[in-house]
Amino acid sequence: MTITLTHYLVLGAILFCLGIYGAVTRKNAIGILMALELVFNAVNLSFVAAGRWQPRPDGVGQLFALFVIAAAAAESVLGLAIILAIYRRRVVVNADEMDLMKH
Amino acid sequence: MTEAILFYALAALTVISAGLVVTVKNIFHAALYLALALFAVAALYVTLGAYFLAAIQVLVYIGAVVVLAIFVINLTRTVTGAAVSLTRRWIVPAALASALTASLIVVALLKSAMAGGGAAGNAFGPAPVAGPSEGAATLGRQLLGAYVLPFELVSVLLLSALIAAIAVIGKDREDEK
Repeated sequence: MTITLTHYLVLGAILFCLGIYGAVTRKNAIGILMALELVFNAVNLSFVAAGRWQPRPDGVGQLFALFVIAAAAAESVLGLAIILAIYRRRVVVNADEMDLMKH
Repeated sequence: MTEAILFYALAALTVISAGLVVTVKNIFHAALYLALALFAVAALYVTLGAYFLAAIQVLVYIGAVVVLAIFVINLTRTVTGAAVSLTRRWIVPAALASALTASLIVVALLKSAMAGGGAAGNAFGPAPVAGPSEGAATLGRQLLGAYVLPFELVSVLLLSALIAAIAVIGKDREDEK
């Protein structure tokens, strides 16, 4: 029984959809950000696995995953900073109560 | 055989802890399960031969992102405490939509896997033999060679994210004074 690329891609799909489920159902904005981290990881896993199954693996899949990790770190820093700023102003962390721009 | 057992154990650990991240009621526990899920993904990188990426995953994700999330959870504890219910809406539509998306991807994958056959080196056969060109040294050479432009762009992105985070957080403090 060999592990093929399909195994990794199916695992990536399951992880991706778990992350989407969390991002939709979580009310807490920090919870939404954490669910998004799961989505990034699913994509990264697919990138690395697909790069490994190239006819001549040259590490480009890992390179893409590296860039995604950097972008995800920037996203999470900014997202958490915004959550903290909103919390300081309005003592709110639930995404549906952040309606400053609605009125 | 060992790699199959390793893969299935790590995949089960990843899926179970990821499921707990999105369903568990206590947000602090969710952050800890997120660390577990990210660690399992790092172990999966090791099974793929991506040792450098596994180290980066542990350093950046578990060492920085999860710790930062735990910091923010603790700083906003008055709201995230047990008093506030974490009731979630749209559970059934969300579960339905994500399950359907997952099954769509899986069915598409399996169909193309059957069409592709299972020869070695084929996309749906066993992995091709890794050349000597997969280590951290090659990765670094590519980052400063063919991929130097995205590399520099990422550094600018990280710098601007840092400045933006300081601006977002620091402004409030000036207003309070």
